[in-house]
Amino acid sequence: MASRVVPQHLRALAWHAGAGRFAATQALGVAAASGAPLQQNLHPRLWRALCAAAAEAAAERQSPVEEADEEPTAAYVHLPFCKRKCSYCDFPVIAVGRDLAQAPHVQDNMQRYVEMVVQEIAASRRLNWQPLQSVFFGGGTPSLIPPSLLEQLLVALDRQFGLAAGAEVSIEADPGTFDAARLRAYLGMGVTRVSVGVQALQDELLALCGRAHDVADALRAVEAVHAAGVPSWSLDLMSGLPQLTEEMWGRSLEQALDAGPHHISTYDLQVEEHTPFARRYSPGEAPLPSDESAAAMYRQASAVLRGAGLEHYEVSNFALPGHRCRHNMVYWEGRPFYGLGLGSASYLQGRRFSRPKRLNAYRTWLQGYTADAAAQGPQVAGAWLPRESADDKLLDTVMLRLRLADGLDLCQLAAQHPQGGEAGELLRAALAPHIARGWVIARGGGEGGEREGSAGSSSSTSGGGTADGRGSIEWVRLADPDGFIVSNDIISDCFAALDVTSAGEA
Amino acid sequence: MAWYRSSGGLWKAALQVAEWAAPQEPAYSVFRGPWRSATVQMLQRAGWASQAAPAAQGEAAAVDPAFDPSRGFVRGGYTVAHFPPARIRNFSIIAHVDHGKSTLADRLLEATGAIAAGGQAQYLDKLQVERERGITVKAQTVSLVYRHSDGADYLLNLIDTPGHVDFSYEVSRSLAACQGALLLVDASQGVQAQTVANFFLAFEQDLAIVPVLNKCDMHSAEPGRVAQQLKDAFDIEPPECLRVSAKTGLGLCAVLPAVVERIPPPVGSPDGDLRMLLFDAYHDEYRGVVCLVEVLDGRVQKGDRITAASSGTNYEVGEVGLLAPEPYPTGELLTGQVGYMLVGMKDTRSARVGDTWHHYRKPVPPLPGFKPAKSMVFAGIFPLSAAGFEQLQAAMERLTLNDASVTVRRENSNALGAGFRCGFLGLLHMDVFRQRLEQEHGASVIVTAPTVPCRVVLPGGEERELQNPAEFPTSTKIAAVWEPTVAATIVTPNDYVGSIMQLCQDRRGDMQEHAVLGAGRTLLKYHLPLAELGGDFYDELKSVSSGYASFDYEEAEYRVADLQRLDILINGEAVDALARIVHRDKAQAVGRRLCTKLRDLMDRQQFEVALQAQAGGRIVARETLKAFRKNVLAKCYGGDVSRKRKLLEKQKEGKKRMRRLGSVDVPQEVFHELMKAGNKS
Repeated sequence: MASRVVPQHLRALAWHAGAGRFAATQALGVAAASGAPLQQNLHPRLWRALCAAAAEAAAERQSPVEEADEEPTAAYVHLPFCKRKCSYCDFPVIAVGRDLAQAPHVQDNMQRYVEMVVQEIAASRRLNWQPLQSVFFGGGTPSLIPPSLLEQLLVALDRQFGLAAGAEVSIEADPGTFDAARLRAYLGMGVTRVSVGVQALQDELLALCGRAHDVADALRAVEAVHAAGVPSWSLDLMSGLPQLTEEMWGRSLEQALDAGPHHISTYDLQVEEHTPFARRYSPGEAPLPSDESAAAMYRQASAVLRGAGLEHYEVSNFALPGHRCRHNMVYWEGRPFYGLGLGSASYLQGRRFSRPKRLNAYRTWLQGYTADAAAQGPQVAGAWLPRESADDKLLDTVMLRLRLADGLDLCQLAAQHPQGGEAGELLRAALAPHIARGWVIARGGGEGGEREGSAGSSSSTSGGGTADGRGSIEWVRLADPDGFIVSNDIISDCFAALDVTSAGEA
Repeated sequence: MAWYRSSGGLWKAALQVAEWAAPQEPAYSVFRGPWRSATVQMLQRAGWASQAAPAAQGEAAAVDPAFDPSRGFVRGGYTVAHFPPARIRNFSIIAHVDHGKSTLADRLLEATGAIAAGGQAQYLDKLQVERERGITVKAQTVSLVYRHSDGADYLLNLIDTPGHVDFSYEVSRSLAACQGALLLVDASQGVQAQTVANFFLAFEQDLAIVPVLNKCDMHSAEPGRVAQQLKDAFDIEPPECLRVSAKTGLGLCAVLPAVVERIPPPVGSPDGDLRMLLFDAYHDEYRGVVCLVEVLDGRVQKGDRITAASSGTNYEVGEVGLLAPEPYPTGELLTGQVGYMLVGMKDTRSARVGDTWHHYRKPVPPLPGFKPAKSMVFAGIFPLSAAGFEQLQAAMERLTLNDASVTVRRENSNALGAGFRCGFLGLLHMDVFRQRLEQEHGASVIVTAPTVPCRVVLPGGEERELQNPAEFPTSTKIAAVWEPTVAATIVTPNDYVGSIMQLCQDRRGDMQEHAVLGAGRTLLKYHLPLAELGGDFYDELKSVSSGYASFDYEEAEYRVADLQRLDILINGEAVDALARIVHRDKAQAVGRRLCTKLRDLMDRQQFEVALQAQAGGRIVARETLKAFRKNVLAKCYGGDVSRKRKLLEKQKEGKKRMRRLGSVDVPQEVFHELMKAGNKS
């Protein structure tokens, strides 16, 4: 089909002609839509000029500060199968039964599911020029999937989007679902990182959570990871679980460090609606830890893990140098990514799109998607959605960046948003009380070091006046742990401050 | 002066009436169908509906087959000239709430062809707030044509009255245009507090009273005992009582004959100079002010120049007609008739209800007039968010056009910003006003705790009337504080007398009378501080009497009371909008309750917050709001991004609803909730 060939071929042309990637793509889209064979009748140089002109025109239509679309570098693949659904879980999950993962009908179901995802991959338009830098198999329990099926997915991804040499390929793996041999098989087909869902190191807690494994399984899993020589692995824990005490949590943290992971995630339990936990417990009330106790656990994790040399690089994530999860950083830095499979979310061309969370609905959606692809060429999921507005993007940036130890660069923000300068001012004002309280750390332009906004240091800078001090702030981050632990409050303060502009604008 | 009519609807309906007047158009086509004529036939067989065919006996001269009383005034083909004073009856229905006044009015309208049978229930209750609450707040008027057994056609003007104590002023105004009243009493519930109050209002105005026992179809009905109660309470002879059921139609055929026979016609001189009573006015969005008048003497015609006696202002009559039930221009109104008039007035405040109007340069002795309504309850009204002030201002302007009894002045609160201090006739009036602001004008508001107009006397003898608790002086010495009181009437089954007396005593009540009403009922009269009626008195009364006690009150004198200003302090700062005036004995209990409530309603802040109540210069209660310890969503990846955004947006919306008091965020609901909390100790 001509229309499929033309963009592929010309994308490269336009690329070399130096036009912005997105603008060129869009120009070509226009050209292709207006009559694909056109290009065949034109001299290549003329066509190139045409493309450049179209690209320029497209660029002019964009507001000057809006960047051309960044290309996706990451892909998330959802593998929903679990032995059983945990009592706190509200992810799209297909429970297969505790000892049935090897049963033929389950294997068939997995096979059919993977085939669907492979279809989705094949029907998806490649928006990246460079091959993918990261792939993340999340779930569910991806480690329930036989290696051969995982390989099919990796092959499909590589065929459609390209997989860079040295790409980070992560897989979530639950204790009791894998051994060293299986891990070796994964590594052999390109997996580089394993995220082990230990969650708790107390059998009674694991039972309460409805986990399909016990502590012994977890220890065996750690052994297997070491035996297989996984180059980068994470141990995932949950705090705030029912009956969890600060003392138990302290021991869990030590044990986790003893397991020698490169990365530790500590997620504070969130009681989600429509889960068994939501029916059993209410936040802050026994047997769930009190707010005070849950806060103490958070501080404990921060202190213990940082003390062991891990960097607290995101609200709930810790890593040894060089072992941050590259894939998750894509989310947190607000960069685009593919999403594939049941219930997965993608962020492409400025559109966040979530696939149906029920298998039947996903299957129906996929049928339409693949049919569209057959008729019109490869698709971008959610292309019918409006692009994320500059305001939305701004809020996403504020929300996500403030969750990172890297913080938020207000100057960069000003450059990226039409009203970024104004937004920066509003944010500085909204954050001022938090800076004064020491919950937010700010760094000014001229000064080299960070300014910890404790009472002492604010008096030391009082000579310059708060207004001046505020004006020179170029970069902010949440203090660890005081700011991280109340991040919702701080971020919603930022949102409220930014809302004033939109209301004033309207 | 008029209230609570949905603007616009009336004149749209009037246009429809004009269309219906075309000969081939079936009237009320929407409702018309075989069932309707069946209903009318049924009513006619019952001798209840006006009959198209003249009755055999009676004054044959008055019977004109060209006119059809079963079709109402307009479609019946009548003109006002058909009705000399002797053929006019002006009457009201007075009743305790829920005794069936609106249903009876509907039946009367249907039976005389003014509206279709089975149409919208409670025709006269046009406002959403009236239908929702099952009360009438705005008096309505409607002219009916009835062919009596004497063969003559009568013009019966039904002047509806509001059914709540706050609006008793409105009731007496409506009664001033009547010569008689139907005293409607529920045959199960018997005489209630408002029955007593309304009876005396009518009695004082010398109205002929037709007692009607309603709901006689019910099993619990005891018309005999209730008739005896009426005898005991009002000296009404039992045989005078009509026994009806407005719901089933039982006995209704006796009602209109009784109106004609027992209520005297208006006494006026058709040949005299024009003398009119302006008894109501309301604002219509399209037509300006619509005045409701009764012609006492003479006649008024379209184009006449008239003068308002009180102000000397001259007007020209642009349109005059009957409410039949929608406005229907007749070109003139004659002696004894009640109708509406357009005189090019723009603002209801110019219409002094109770005023006497006469022809230009033909003055007549003026009527005594009505005493102006007095604001008995004051409250601050503020926009929900500061940005909503202009919208609120516009809504207030539109609504007060229609309700001149609300007094309004600008107010600035430290806590709530720019708003209004409004005076109302009572608490229901205040609540109805708020509801109308929100329902009809889309304004979202915060209403502060209601306060009564206390008078503070300073040592020098200087006296100040307070409309706002914040005006209560705290730094200067006070000689005395006077507070308004009410004379309350409570009617209750004997079983509940004890608990009601306890309630009244808790509310600083002073018993005046304790009488047995017969049929197991007791009448209590209490002197109560008006301020004690605020908040939950009525709810409490209902709850201690299992809903059986009824209550009514009228304004009484000012009395000295030991009152103090109670301030609520958040982190040491007094919040002006939360101040209230309380009795010294109750300051601590009320303060404690408010602080506890505030603590429960407020979200935890980033730091510890002290909540205090202060009265008479000392802290009387204290609560502490602990700081929150964590506020974080642990997991945020992939699809979670939008979910987390939504969550934070929600939190942000919560923050935007907050009012920032000093460094503390207080949710709007706090003001609503604390307002509801009365001064109960």
